Amino acid sequence: MTVALALPTRRVEEWKYSDLARALGDVGFGDDSAEVLAGPVPAGVEVFALDEPNRPDWVKAHYGKLSANVVSAISLAKARGGIALRIPKGKIIEDPVTLDFAGKGHVRALLVLEEGAALTLFERCDAAETRNAGLEIVVAPNARLDHVRISPVSGVVQVEEVSITLARDAFYHGHFANFGARLSRIELAITLDGEGAEAHLSGVSVLSGDAHADVTTHVTHAVGRTLSTQLFKKVVGGNGQAVYQGKVTVAHGADGADSRQTAKALLLGMRAEADLKPELEIFADDVKCAHGAAVGDLDSDSLFYLRARGIPEKEARHLLIHAFLEDALTDVTNADLREQVRGAVSTALDQVAT
Amino acid sequence: MSSAALETKETVAGLGEKYKYGFVTDIEMERAPKGLSEDTVRYISAKKGEQEWMLEWRLAAFRRWLSMKEPNWARVRYPAIDYQNAYYYAAPKNTPLKQSLDEVDPKLLETYKKLGIPLHEQMALAGVAVDAVFDSVSVATTFKEKLNEAGVIFCPMSEAIRDYPELVKKYLGSVVPVTDNFFATLNSAVFSDGTFVYVPKGVRCPMELSTYFRINASETGQFERTIIVADEGSYVSYLEGCTAPKRDENQLHAAVVELVALDNAEIKYSTVQNWYPGDENGLGGIYNFVTKRGDCRGVRSKISWTQVETGSAITWKYPSCILRGDESVGEFYSIAIANNFQQADTGTKMIHLGKNTRSRIIAKGISAGKAQNTYRGLVSVYGKAENARNFTQCDSLLIGRDCGAHTVPYIESRNPSARIEHEATTSKIAEDQLFYCLQRGIAQEEAVALIVNGFCKEVLQQLPMEFAVEAQKLVGISLEGSVG
Amino acid sequence: MLDIKNLHVTVAGKEILRGLNLRVDAGQVHAIMGPNGSGKSTLSYVLAGRAGYEITEGSMTYNGENLAALPPEQRAAKGVFLAMQYPVEIPGVTTMMFLKSALNAQRRGRGESEMDAIGILKTVRKKAAALNISEDMLKRALNVGFSGGEKKRLEILQMSLFEPKLAILDETDSGLDIDALRLVAEGVNSLRAPERAMLVITHYQRLLDYIVPDRIHVLANGRIVAEGGKELALELEAKGYEQIVKDAA
Repeated sequence: MTVALALPTRRVEEWKYSDLARALGDVGFGDDSAEVLAGPVPAGVEVFALDEPNRPDWVKAHYGKLSANVVSAISLAKARGGIALRIPKGKIIEDPVTLDFAGKGHVRALLVLEEGAALTLFERCDAAETRNAGLEIVVAPNARLDHVRISPVSGVVQVEEVSITLARDAFYHGHFANFGARLSRIELAITLDGEGAEAHLSGVSVLSGDAHADVTTHVTHAVGRTLSTQLFKKVVGGNGQAVYQGKVTVAHGADGADSRQTAKALLLGMRAEADLKPELEIFADDVKCAHGAAVGDLDSDSLFYLRARGIPEKEARHLLIHAFLEDALTDVTNADLREQVRGAVSTALDQVAT
Repeated sequence: MSSAALETKETVAGLGEKYKYGFVTDIEMERAPKGLSEDTVRYISAKKGEQEWMLEWRLAAFRRWLSMKEPNWARVRYPAIDYQNAYYYAAPKNTPLKQSLDEVDPKLLETYKKLGIPLHEQMALAGVAVDAVFDSVSVATTFKEKLNEAGVIFCPMSEAIRDYPELVKKYLGSVVPVTDNFFATLNSAVFSDGTFVYVPKGVRCPMELSTYFRINASETGQFERTIIVADEGSYVSYLEGCTAPKRDENQLHAAVVELVALDNAEIKYSTVQNWYPGDENGLGGIYNFVTKRGDCRGVRSKISWTQVETGSAITWKYPSCILRGDESVGEFYSIAIANNFQQADTGTKMIHLGKNTRSRIIAKGISAGKAQNTYRGLVSVYGKAENARNFTQCDSLLIGRDCGAHTVPYIESRNPSARIEHEATTSKIAEDQLFYCLQRGIAQEEAVALIVNGFCKEVLQQLPMEFAVEAQKLVGISLEGSVG
Repeated sequence: MLDIKNLHVTVAGKEILRGLNLRVDAGQVHAIMGPNGSGKSTLSYVLAGRAGYEITEGSMTYNGENLAALPPEQRAAKGVFLAMQYPVEIPGVTTMMFLKSALNAQRRGRGESEMDAIGILKTVRKKAAALNISEDMLKRALNVGFSGGEKKRLEILQMSLFEPKLAILDETDSGLDIDALRLVAEGVNSLRAPERAMLVITHYQRLLDYIVPDRIHVLANGRIVAEGGKELALELEAKGYEQIVKDAA
């Protein structure tokens, strides 16, 4: 396999706000392999370590097939390890299964949900090391995946691509809480490949100091009667930089595609920056697509209203910031995970000078 | 409206053509030798009788251009342009600088009359002064004396270079630098004419100014350069119209427009772009690569762009505002219609540098046939632009299954007190609206024109009256055959 | 004037009307009543010629002409008017401009000369006043931001302006309070004329207190299952649709 291993600079359109080549410097990602551990794996879930020989057919059928971007291609070429999980047909797993990404270098993971299966996936990342991760997810007809990812504050470069394909009537809900890194990028490439498929994405970023957090999504409605929604909220303090690039493509003939996309940022630091690029690419006519984006500070009328009712300014500001993030948090389905995200958000907000 | 639409339809039917400006004027032309080299640049400069400084400026641009690459980031696809296989200068013979309209070749007067632009002042629309640019040269400018009385300079660019060199030196390339982009640099090397406007301090320009650009010659590119300077406290409204004959070949149009608004000045710039769009099969049409930029240099200055883009096979155009002065205002109102095989990639840039700067973007895109229509816009708030405000509304309408509508906004904010709002929608022309019109007796094509004009209303309202009526008709005509 | 015979209509592959027969003569007002999903709106749309309503069997004859063969705008020009249950909003197109366009389009369709703008304005103003439609409403975009009552009144204004031969009123009473209902009904009654037929489609008897029909037809499962004079409405109100449909079976 030959791949162009050059790292993108900001002159590459998709990396305009995240200059990966510059953030990594001459050393690049290196050739190391990072690792990923799955825990607690209930009975019936098949686990395969990707560094083992004799890959089973389901791994061969799906591994490396969905990966989309140039950086993910590098991890495919260089990663020696990783993990693959298979949730068999009809298997409904109640408790979340955790994927822990750790160590330095490249790593891959593959998750296959067979027809009618259901899973909640909780993804965590260790903050210490520079890492380039790639996660591929296959959701078969009528299967459902709830996915929550928390990436903690980090001083290094952490990049991950999650590429997902959804078959007929498959359902995906993903929440991405991101607290920034020297350069942090989560890229979601989602294809709605069967009628009735739905993808719902939400996420929050709370940044302070010099943190950078880039959420890039590309949702493709390959067929009609598919639905996607996106709701991303960012609170940026200090010298932080929050990036949202969201592209929705509706393919030719994909009639009945419905897509909504909202990205909002609150700038709270004098040197904070938000870059939003919600993009629509529509090749079918019977569609309903909309996006909205907004950047600003706290609404002064609301602030005044609260203060006039006796709430001190600092408290009022906190209240309004929480309120701003709230609708992106409430749609995390699993209550435990929702509280984990809330906790992480509260901790991060304490670092933002408000 | 509907009677207007009908009247237009009848007119067009009478001509037997959907594009009613597709005729060719048979007139003897003088051209530069085919191709592009330093010699071409020298030829053009000599033809214009330019001084050394202007020639040097052009040559520097040309040398720079040789090292540049054609941009490829826009969503437009076209075969490679052979820059050597075109003429860069074409002018009707025997058109030395005219003192009065009586000296203008009657064939040219007839041409503009046919385009609906009478150049005889007594026939002209009251209150509109016209500069008529035919291929590479300005052939007539009306109401010059009247404007002179007010101190307003309104003349062909070539004349301005000769008569007002200090003004031209001061502003030429000051908004769009020679090195700005591939097409702007090309224009800097070979531009042949265009319009120069200077409105002195405190003067409210007594009439609308307008330029009608006409490409007539085959295998010829048009490269005009327009500069409008509104000095402190002045106001000017300027309109431009563009048409070209039907031809099977693609012709290049690469213009540069620079606007400068000083303290408390306002410039309103309106365009109805109706270059030949090519036929139903995508054959022919103008390649329209245009760089338009306004610099709100002074405090409380204002620049407002309004464009109705219905023509051209390819449109690549982003009229922009640099909001440098505190409290300056930038506006962009746009209708872009792409039918058949047209491709449009158009939008704006609002660069907020000063405090309390405001911008507003209303963009309406309509795609039909097999066309691709892209809105591409940047709103960028710099660190010092306290309390900057932007509102953007961007709507796309799709008519038919085989077209595309794309929206690519870039929103960048580096100041916490700034507020930016962006909304966009994409949908097809509503079946229930069409049916409602049909049920009330309005036929399909008229119903489409009615609904689309309604969809575009916010933008159409920004146009000066005479243009608004014309533009409404154009909307209907551009979409003929798109439904049913 | 209108003669519907054994009409079968499918929408998106599903048969909604299943052998409907109906005859309405000039000067008469007929009411179609029926429960939700009985095919009332389908009937109004197929008469007006909306796309997606496929006639699989039967015929609709209007003044001796095959109605199904005409595109919707020609039906309108020939006098078929449908007052819609949900009048459509068209942003950016002022109500006045729309009225003018439609009236002249219909006149052209009939080979008549167009009316000038001032003449239309005068006529519209007079008719609007009777329906309590303000000048301001006429200047606003068509139906955009209008209340339910305003939209319905505007439909009646159009009916009065276009002077149709066959007026179909689809659930014109829905969403109206009692005052608005009375106003609309007065408007309709004033348009009753020997040369005009009306088809009033409604779920409730209430409207028929104000617009008294010559004949009532009960539509259920895509067919007329009961017919009678105006007293049928009271019977329906007392017994409910279920019983009437059962009795008829």
